[in-house]
Amino acid sequence: MFKKFENAVYNGLNSKGKKTFILLGTLLGFILSLMMIPSELVLAKMLPGKNSDTFNIYIDLPTGSSIAQTQVVSNCVVNYVQQEKDVRDTEVFLGMGSPLDFAGLIKGSQFKNSENVAEIVLNLSPKHHRKEPSYLMVQRMRNVIQKGCDINGAKISFVEPPAGPPVMAAIVAEVYGNNAEGIRHLAKKIENVFSHTKGLVDIDIMQDDIYDKFEVKVDSIKIARSGLNVKQVNDILYLAFEGMEIAVKNSPIYDDQIPIFLTLSSKTKDFTNKSKMAIQSKMASLKLMNTRGMMVPITEVVSISAVKSNPMIMAKNLHQMVNVMAETDMVSQVYPLMDARNEIINTFSDAYEISKIGLFNLELKDKKTAKVYQLIWDGEMEVTLDTFVELGAAFIAALVLIFLLMVVYYKSFKLSGIILIGSFLSIIGVIVGHFIMDVFIEGTFFLTATSLIGFIALIGISSRNSLLLIDFTKSLMIEKGMGQKAAIAFATATRAKPIFLTAVAIILASTLLASDAVFGGLGVSLIFGTIAAVVASLIVVPILMDNSNLQEEFNK
Amino acid sequence: MSDNKPYVPTDYAGRLAKTFIRSPLTPLLGIFLLILGYLSLQIMPREENPQMVVSGSTVIVALPGANAKEVEKIIVQPLERKLKEVKGIEHIYSMAMDNVAVVNAAFFIGEEKEDSNLKVYDKVLQNMDILPKGAMQPIIKPLDIDVDIPIVSVAFYANKKDMPASELYDKVKAIQHHINGLDNVAVTDVKGGHKHQFNIKVDLFKLSGYNLSMGQILKAVQALSYSVPTIKNETKDNEIVMLGIKNAIDKAEDIGNIIVSSYMGSPIYLKQVAEVTKSYDIQNFKSAQISLRNKDGKFTPLQEQVTLTVSKLQGTNAVLISDAVKEELEKYKEEINKVGISYVITRNDGHRADEAVNELVYHLVLSIVIIAILLVFVLGWRESLIVTFTVPAILAVTLFVAYITGQTVNRITLFAFLLSLGLLVDAAIIVIENIHRHFHSKEAQTMNTDELMIMATDEVGPPTNIATLAIILTMVPMAFVGQMMGQFMKPIPANVPVALVASLFIAYIFTPYLATRLLKKPHHKEEEH
Repeated sequence: MFKKFENAVYNGLNSKGKKTFILLGTLLGFILSLMMIPSELVLAKMLPGKNSDTFNIYIDLPTGSSIAQTQVVSNCVVNYVQQEKDVRDTEVFLGMGSPLDFAGLIKGSQFKNSENVAEIVLNLSPKHHRKEPSYLMVQRMRNVIQKGCDINGAKISFVEPPAGPPVMAAIVAEVYGNNAEGIRHLAKKIENVFSHTKGLVDIDIMQDDIYDKFEVKVDSIKIARSGLNVKQVNDILYLAFEGMEIAVKNSPIYDDQIPIFLTLSSKTKDFTNKSKMAIQSKMASLKLMNTRGMMVPITEVVSISAVKSNPMIMAKNLHQMVNVMAETDMVSQVYPLMDARNEIINTFSDAYEISKIGLFNLELKDKKTAKVYQLIWDGEMEVTLDTFVELGAAFIAALVLIFLLMVVYYKSFKLSGIILIGSFLSIIGVIVGHFIMDVFIEGTFFLTATSLIGFIALIGISSRNSLLLIDFTKSLMIEKGMGQKAAIAFATATRAKPIFLTAVAIILASTLLASDAVFGGLGVSLIFGTIAAVVASLIVVPILMDNSNLQEEFNK
Repeated sequence: MSDNKPYVPTDYAGRLAKTFIRSPLTPLLGIFLLILGYLSLQIMPREENPQMVVSGSTVIVALPGANAKEVEKIIVQPLERKLKEVKGIEHIYSMAMDNVAVVNAAFFIGEEKEDSNLKVYDKVLQNMDILPKGAMQPIIKPLDIDVDIPIVSVAFYANKKDMPASELYDKVKAIQHHINGLDNVAVTDVKGGHKHQFNIKVDLFKLSGYNLSMGQILKAVQALSYSVPTIKNETKDNEIVMLGIKNAIDKAEDIGNIIVSSYMGSPIYLKQVAEVTKSYDIQNFKSAQISLRNKDGKFTPLQEQVTLTVSKLQGTNAVLISDAVKEELEKYKEEINKVGISYVITRNDGHRADEAVNELVYHLVLSIVIIAILLVFVLGWRESLIVTFTVPAILAVTLFVAYITGQTVNRITLFAFLLSLGLLVDAAIIVIENIHRHFHSKEAQTMNTDELMIMATDEVGPPTNIATLAIILTMVPMAFVGQMMGQFMKPIPANVPVALVASLFIAYIFTPYLATRLLKKPHHKEEEH
């Protein structure tokens, strides 16, 4: 076996045709595997979904909705949840966020404090006893619940614990501009595009809805004439309808002071309906005492008018903007984003002049008003891009460092180059490995950030293989005076065993990694990359070595 | 290669092998390392996810009566401009709403927490003068991942339907204080539940019937609930007499009996125009509910609950804290069961962390066993045993270094170990393989075993050193990856190089040592291996 391999290498080195054939084949393989990424045969995503024992459902009603309306929706959702056999218990938090978690921290769950929000926590039975992974449960329940509980204009979104660092949403489109209505209009249009894009779910615009409200305007002249003051009018109005803690009572038994709360009884304060008339008639019976001790009906000094609410104004880094967010349904966010972007470019051109800024971002100029808006992508997409770019930079830095190290060690650019090429070839294994996994497993197997980390580690591993080979050849040629081809063949055959052994050790250690959601990419990279590295260092590297004049390189 | 003269090592590898091959301290060093590693694994705090340094502060300024547009112009924009002066802030988010402004400064990932909090606090306080008249004192709330995210949450609920809404809250409040007293517990918080409150609900129609105004009721109640400190007076003999003035309000009836006005000479009591009750905070719209599976597997209907959340201090052991919380709760179980309250633990990150860590440790051991079995077939069981010993020794050193550099055991650290596992057996495999090869060669028959070991180790030294250095170099740039992902993955560049360096030393020190004692010189028939 040992001798056979040595002879095979020796014969191979002697035949020029075989050498060129192998080198060209490798080059072709390299190009083909790289092509798998743009052709979407291998899909990229920062991190895949993680099977966890809990997830949350967020409920958002239009701004200005009451807690009772919110509760109708939460009850509806809980009804569906209770039919799930894998749910152990569920908690509803009305008007506030659930106990904070990683995802909630970024999504602002801790700041929730209004009647139109609720969060529901689902605790599942432990994952070892459960057949269905949580991400598939979410995917299945999302459809049913969003259709079944479409009440009071509620937006229901599913929030899973993130596999890695948390982000606001998978896709965030930031719409910047100087004009609030224009931003609002554009955001609405983008939301519309998102809802038609395949793979996007839980779409939401992060802005207040404009709703009808009534404004009580105090007439200061009338107030002064009737012996009242403005503060008194405001206070009494607040006291009557909202209520106030007017005093406290200390208590040794309880942990808090006991407040004394004053308001009108709900039976008598509720308006009969949502109209100016109803409010006016109710207020007519509320009277104030003036300085002369006379009672003045509050309607005498105020006027009521119907207005629109003032929506919240959001800004990021001093620029006014609105977020349009969407989650992805078990797919990478990259591809739906590209689809949505293309759709925007194609369909918005009748009203806007569109120009591209940066890599994916767009600038839209309203054709009528000449106002300019920007569409900047943020969220997981931005983080993914940044991470991949930084890991890519780390990869290039690693290559440069290795090259420098080899140049210092061998004092030869040629030999260092051979080692670098040898280690670079492991990328074939990484990409093909992901493709093979994707074919065999259920769902999609993504090329993730951890795949890249695995790839970076691989450069080191495969450069070591080549290094051991070259080093042994060197000692054979210099100390034993063997011929170049014979030395290469003997070294390759001798070093094949430790190279195989260390490779198998890496592969075996990585099989357990491959089953993990987050580190699956790392495991697969290492397994298939190592295979490619072994093939490269035992077949391609000897040929490359033989093609250069080793005697000369070693004697430098 | 001479047979008689002692072999002079040219590389660190050979020198290390030579120093330790006959030293009686070598086995002691091995045992010491293993114990060190085991202790580190036990002592190191366990967490599910690695610690991330994320800093940020939220500034909230209220300006009653101003609308969103006004708030934006007079509070948000000046404040944003001031915060822009602070170094280290990545993004400034702001929200201008009716009556209130919220400005959030998010720092770059990895910016020191304390510094960042102080910077924002400083900047806001320095510029209090830019806030408009009528604006309330700004509230500055720093973000603290460790303290803000609870590791344990417990839901308490009543078994009886008729329990008053505030009683549950009281009981949980009492337990909260005890839990907060446990070691390393940072914050405990209660979500849901209702506080005690006296409610005065005035009937609008009766109010106008008696010709009263809300203002009169307000003044009457406030007048009666007024308290002063104890009064001190002296007698003629210079003795001190203390007069405590009891708060006039004790029960709901006391409030009901307040005279708010008089009509035609007869007094009008508050209870005549309003319903006064001692119940809970009716204005609080927030509430928490729970539904859980009962014994026959059906869900109970939604009912009111109070959730107690517990968070830990940074860098402390989530497993120990959650166990302590569980134990503490057991103490009160009977007491609260008696009054009809049950609880269920709805989040236990300590348990989750422990499970994740144990599962990974199991994987780690499994990998070592699989590699050992593989080596038995290829190299023989003695060689396999040697390599298998080096693995725990290397991991022990790495764990110890991780411990003294203040890291925690979490998913990512263990993945870093799993990743390095494939790499760190290499040095030992390469050394043992070379020893094996030399051992089975013809020239070995005449050579001293120790010399042979040292020579074999020394021979592969330089390429192994350089190769390991190459792998370490690939890991170095990863330490500079920023963003959340970089922070998240930090344990990999932090631990893999340590493991690799350790693997070199362990391989050079222990492999030849064990090999001289375990391996037997083969006879010629074993040559063809």
